[in-house]
Amino acid sequence: MLAGALAHDLDRSFEHLVIAYRVPIVSFVGRMLHDHARAEDVAQDVFVRAYRALKSYPAERRRALRLRSWLYAIAHNLTRNAVRDAPPPSDPLEFEDGEPRAALSDAAPGPEDSVLRAEAWDHVGAAVARLSPAVRPAFVMRYVDELSYDEIAASLEQPVGTVKASAHRGLMAVRAYLEKSDE
Amino acid sequence: MSETILREYGDATRRGVSPDFTAKICSECGFDRYTTAVSALGDVYVAWNACGVSAVRSAGDEAAFEAWYGERFGRRVVPAVEDDPTSAAARAKLRGEQVEVPCDLRECSPFEQRVLEKAAEISRGHARPYGWVARELGAPDAARAVGNALGRNPVPLLIPCHRVVRTDYSVGGYVFGSAAKRRLLGREGMDLTAIENAARRGFRYVGADGDGTFCLPTCGDIATRLGAPGYVGLHSVEEAHAHGLVPCDLCRPIAA
Repeated sequence: MLAGALAHDLDRSFEHLVIAYRVPIVSFVGRMLHDHARAEDVAQDVFVRAYRALKSYPAERRRALRLRSWLYAIAHNLTRNAVRDAPPPSDPLEFEDGEPRAALSDAAPGPEDSVLRAEAWDHVGAAVARLSPAVRPAFVMRYVDELSYDEIAASLEQPVGTVKASAHRGLMAVRAYLEKSDE
Repeated sequence: MSETILREYGDATRRGVSPDFTAKICSECGFDRYTTAVSALGDVYVAWNACGVSAVRSAGDEAAFEAWYGERFGRRVVPAVEDDPTSAAARAKLRGEQVEVPCDLRECSPFEQRVLEKAAEISRGHARPYGWVARELGAPDAARAVGNALGRNPVPLLIPCHRVVRTDYSVGGYVFGSAAKRRLLGREGMDLTAIENAARRGFRYVGADGDGTFCLPTCGDIATRLGAPGYVGLHSVEEAHAHGLVPCDLCRPIAA
């Protein structure tokens, strides 16, 4: 519906696009850069680039867009260079390729977990920051933003099999990091 | 590692955006937004961008407003979906609250900007002649240019150009019409009948013996006191001096 409105009158419907996606996009950029202060500037740039691209597209192309994965693609491209240019993490996460050792546990946390909760998610952030640039976007899109593999594949312009493998490698690496920090 | 922890990481790193996030993007994309607000003169359209409020005009005909805006500012304006701090401040001020509203006067010439900034200094309940504004700006012969600049005020009501009147104290022109200007000044506490009566009697100033000062008839409600003990109508500065009166600091009736 929104894509149709953008095809009909870009300026009049563009604010709807910003409102619908600003929180996921600024949050995704913040997770990619591990820097929420810079995230807003980059996220603004994402929308400005989106607008310029939409302006150059014929109405039919706008109408056919899958907006979420398309915006994530722009966000990924803008954050990729920044991530690549950043100094490598001092202690990069190593992970082993192989069969998944365990599925994600669905177990509800016990009361004793709640005290440690704030620290636990903080460790996830530290682990994400250490993920290699090849793995980080697929992991965050899949396991944090919960995009479908099709959407991730479209955003990263990679085959579905590749993004599945990347997301999984990220998950294993984060899990290993958290287990290590628990010790 | 549970899904819960990932979800908590997601929640903890979900970020809202600054209130001017959208305005900055729209400005960068080259279009402005507008909304409808209630004012003392009925509904008005308020257009704004990242630099402030760019236009205030009578509401009613969206297409005509959008066409006028495009022609005057060279940018498209589209209906806004959300308020932000700038539009909310404009809304509050148009309701009568005392708030600062950033205004975007980039389309005005430097002279027009100075005229509008001077007009913005005139308090509610007061008015000043065009010639006064010209003199205050150091261009005493520019009264007509002041009138033209005020006539081009893109943000009437927010910058109170209605508080500048003709040198003979008739109200003069206004973007919303002279009747609206009279109504506004009246609502702000100006007694235009008393001011016009003073002008008709040839009084250019009003002296207050108690204060030892003399004022323009449009300095607050002084014109309404003409005839009361201690208040005197004056035809000239010489007459004021003869009464031993000095110029009021607020309305500065004569050049310093």
